[in-house]
Amino acid sequence: MSTQQQLDDHIIERYTAQPTRLPPELRRLIEHAWHGAPVQLYALADLDQSLRLTEAWLALGPRHLAVARRESSGWHVRSVERSRIEAIREAPGLSANTLTILGASGEPALVLLRYTHRQRRAFENIRFVLEEQVNGHPRELADGEADRLYAESVARPIRDAQALVSGRQTAVIRRLLGYLKPYRRDLTLGMAAATVITLVSLIPPYLAGYLIDRVVRPAQAGTLSLGRAGTIAALAVAAMAAVYLVKQAAAYVRLRLMAILGEWVARDLRDQLYEHIQRLSLSFFSRKRTGSLITRVSADTDRLWEFLAFGIVDVSLSLVQLLGLGTVLLSLDWRLGLVMTLPVPLFCWVIYRHGENISRLFIRAWRKWSRVTDVLSDTIPGIRVVKAFNQEDREIVRFGERNQDVTAEFNRIHASWTTFWPLLVLGVHAMTITVWIFAVPRLLGTGAHLPVGTFVSFLLYTTMFLAPIDVIGQMARTINRATTSAHRVFEVLDTEPEIRDAAEPVRLEPVHGRVTFEHVTFGYDGVRQVLRGVSFDVTPGELIGLVGPSGGGKTTIVNLIARFYDVSGGAIRVDGVDLRRLDTGHYRRQIGMVLQDPYLFHGTVVENIRYGLPEAPLDRVVAAAQAANAHDFITKLQHGYDTVVGERGHTLSGGERQRVSIARAILHDPRILILDEATSSVDTETEREIQEALERLVAGRTVFAIAHRLSTLRKASRLFVIEDGRLVEHGTHAELLAKAEGKYRHLYELQLQLQ
Amino acid sequence: MTLTFGNSATVTRALTLEWRADGSLWAMRGDEERAVSVRRCFPWSEPAQHLSLCDADEEEFALLRDPVELDPRSRAALELALEVAGFVFEVTRVLEIDEEVEIRRWRVETRQGARTFQTRLDDWPRTLPHGGLLIRDLAGDLYHLGRPELLDRKSRDLLWAFVD
Repeated sequence: MSTQQQLDDHIIERYTAQPTRLPPELRRLIEHAWHGAPVQLYALADLDQSLRLTEAWLALGPRHLAVARRESSGWHVRSVERSRIEAIREAPGLSANTLTILGASGEPALVLLRYTHRQRRAFENIRFVLEEQVNGHPRELADGEADRLYAESVARPIRDAQALVSGRQTAVIRRLLGYLKPYRRDLTLGMAAATVITLVSLIPPYLAGYLIDRVVRPAQAGTLSLGRAGTIAALAVAAMAAVYLVKQAAAYVRLRLMAILGEWVARDLRDQLYEHIQRLSLSFFSRKRTGSLITRVSADTDRLWEFLAFGIVDVSLSLVQLLGLGTVLLSLDWRLGLVMTLPVPLFCWVIYRHGENISRLFIRAWRKWSRVTDVLSDTIPGIRVVKAFNQEDREIVRFGERNQDVTAEFNRIHASWTTFWPLLVLGVHAMTITVWIFAVPRLLGTGAHLPVGTFVSFLLYTTMFLAPIDVIGQMARTINRATTSAHRVFEVLDTEPEIRDAAEPVRLEPVHGRVTFEHVTFGYDGVRQVLRGVSFDVTPGELIGLVGPSGGGKTTIVNLIARFYDVSGGAIRVDGVDLRRLDTGHYRRQIGMVLQDPYLFHGTVVENIRYGLPEAPLDRVVAAAQAANAHDFITKLQHGYDTVVGERGHTLSGGERQRVSIARAILHDPRILILDEATSSVDTETEREIQEALERLVAGRTVFAIAHRLSTLRKASRLFVIEDGRLVEHGTHAELLAKAEGKYRHLYELQLQLQ
Repeated sequence: MTLTFGNSATVTRALTLEWRADGSLWAMRGDEERAVSVRRCFPWSEPAQHLSLCDADEEEFALLRDPVELDPRSRAALELALEVAGFVFEVTRVLEIDEEVEIRRWRVETRQGARTFQTRLDDWPRTLPHGGLLIRDLAGDLYHLGRPELLDRKSRDLLWAFVD
C-alpha cells in the first residue's frame, strides 16, 4: 500500500468516522454475485431516502453494478447489469445529492441513492465511467485501484486543507531539533550560558542570608570583630558583584548565540523550503492557497526561529530554575519550603487554564477582525464601484459597526488578562504572607529556630518564582504553536514533485519541434478524464490553432506539452522521444509561453525581458522589444528600459504588459511556442499591434495557439477543434469551413453573427 | 398563476409537477414535460419563494414565484423535492470543537445522526438573515444551527466564540 493511501486511510479513520474500505465481507458477496468479477470502483451512500445517516454502497464492476444496504439480517445486495443502463442523472442539493441510474424509458429507476458532498467525488468517478459507457466510449478500468480511488476521493478535501506530516508531535520536534545539528558548538555554548544564568541567579539571595546570619548579627552581638566582619562583608559584596557580572556576561553570550543560531536555522529552513517549492509540480500549487505557501516561508519560519532561539531554552531552563528554587528552599528550611513549593503546580495549572480561556476570546476576536478586513478587502479594490453607486456613507457605517465590534472583543481580552495577572501576583504574595505568618513566631523564638538571614533569603527567592511559573504554564501553547508551524513547513518539504526526470534523461540538441500525441488521456484527479484519447502529429514550424468550447481540454493540451503534468495514458513525443524521458529543465528552456494575463515580475522592463536569459546583451533586448512592438512605448517611459514596472507590472496597461511578455518570449527564442489567448483582453488597435508582433514571433517555430476569436487563427497551418476532451475536427481554416455540418464552421458562423 | 418560463418570459400557463416511477420529479406545461430538479433562489433569506426548476442540462424550465400557486398535488410533489434539495444537517448538540494544524474539528449530534466534520481555521460560521448559524465543512456539506441560544449549556459554551 502506498504512503499516500496510508495517509488517506488515516484521515478517513480519524476525521470522518466512516469505513476506510468497502467491508471485505460485502466485497466477497458482491464479487461472488458477479461470478468472480472484481469491484473496480465504489462509493458510500451515506443518506437514506428519508435523509438520515446510513451505510449503503454502490459498487461498479466490469459488467455490473451493485447496490448494497445494511439490514438487520446482514447485507442486502442487488446487482444490475451495466448493459441495461440508458441514462444517469445527478441532482445536487445543499448537502444531499441524488444519483439516479435509469434503464429503459418509463421503467422504474435501476438505482436511486442519496449521499452527502463528502461522498460526491467517489460517486462522480462512477458516474463518469457510466456516462462514458452510455455515450458509446466504454472505459476499461484497472483492477486493484478501487480502494485507493475511494480513499483519495473522501480524504482529499481534508488532505488539501491540512498540513499532515506523518509522525507524532515529539517526532516533529525531534526533526526540528535536527536542524540545530550543524550549529552544535554554538548551541552547547548557548545552553551552558543559559544554565549559568539560572544557577548564579540563585546565589545573591543566599549571600544576603549569609551576610545577615554570619556577619551582621554576630557583629551586632559582638561575637565577631568589626574588622573581620568588614572583610567578610566586602568579600561577600565583591562575590555578589562577580555573580552579577558573570550572569550578565552569560546573558550576553546566550542571547547573542541563540538569536543568531535561530536565524541560521530559519535561513536554512527558508532556503530549503523555497528551493523545494520551486521544484514542486503545478498540481501542488493548485491544491494549496498561495497565501498559505507564502506564510510557510515567512511567518512559520519566523515562529520557528523564536522557538529555537528562545522557546526551547526558556522552557527547559524554567524547569531547571523551579527545580533549583524548590531544592534550595527545602534545604534552607523544609517547613517554609513546603509553603512555597506546594502551590507551584496549582499556579502552573491556573496559568494554563487562563491560556485556554483567553484563546477562546482570541478566536472570537479573530472572527470579528476578519469581518473588518472583509470590508477593507471588498471596498478598497472595489472603490470605483462604491463611488459609482454612491455608497460611501453606507460603507463607512458598515466599517464603523464592525470596528466597534472588534474593539469590544479586544477590550474583553484586555479585561481578562489585566484581571488575571494582578490576581496571580496576589496569589504569589499570599504565599509570601503565608511564609511570614509561619516565620514570624519562629523568628520571635516560638517553635523551631529560624535565622533572620534564612528568612530574608526566602523572601528574595519568592520574587523569583513568578517568571518560570509563567513560562511553564504557557509551555503547551508555545510547543503547539511551534509544532503547527513545523507541520506546515515539513508538509511542503515532504511533498514529492510529481514530475521527475528519468534516471538518464535525454537532451534534445537541437529541438526541432515535432510534437506527437499518441492516444493521450489525462485527468487531474480520480478517474474523470479531461483528455480522452487525443492523437495528432505536428511537424516542426507548424502553427496549430486550438479552438473549441471552454473546458474542452485546450489548456490541458498545452500544459501537457510544457510537461507541467504527465499524461495518464498514451504518450507525448517531441522529435520522436517520449516527453517523460527528456531532461525537463533543458526541454523547458526550449518552450516559450505568452499567456492571456501576462505575468511580469517586480523589477525593471529590461529585467523582465531578460527573465529567461539574464545575460542577454542589451542590443538583443532592444531588437526583441522592437520585434514585439514594445520598443516605442518603452522609450516613452520616464526611465525607458530601466522603468520599474511594479508588482505584476501594474504600472503598465494590459497591452503593454503583453508586448513585454512577447519580447521576453522572442529573446528566449523557443523552438516550441504556446500562445494562450494572447490577444483576448486588449482593444482592437492594440490587438493589431500584438498580432503583428506575434507573426514575427511565430516564424520558424512550432506554435500552439489557443484563441476564442477565430479570426486571429486564419493563418494557422491547421486548426484542431477540441471538445469534451477529444480532437473532433482538424484541418485548415478553409477545409473546416467547407464542412457543412462542421463544428468549426458552426463556431465561426456564431462569431460572425455576433460581429 | 404567474410563472416565468424559459428565458424569463412571464406567461400565465398551468404548471404541474409529479413524481414518476423513474424516481424523478417531472414538470409539465402544455405539451412540454421534463425531469427537473428544484433549487431555492434564496435558500436562507426567503426559502419558500422563488424556486427554480432546472432540467438535466441545468437549463431553467420554470421559475416558480410561490408554491401556493400550484395545485395541491403538484405542491405536495414539490415539497418532497424541496426537502431533498434543501437538506442540510440540523445540529442539535455540539460535543467538541478542537483546533488542529490548519483545521478546526467539530463533533456534533444532528437530527440525522452523529457527525464529525472539519472546517478551515479561517472559515467562520455564517450568521443567517433570520438568525441561526450555518457552517460549511471542507467537503461542502452544510450544518445548520437554527437557535444556538436554545442548545444545552455545554453546546452554548463551546459555540460561544462563534456566535455574535
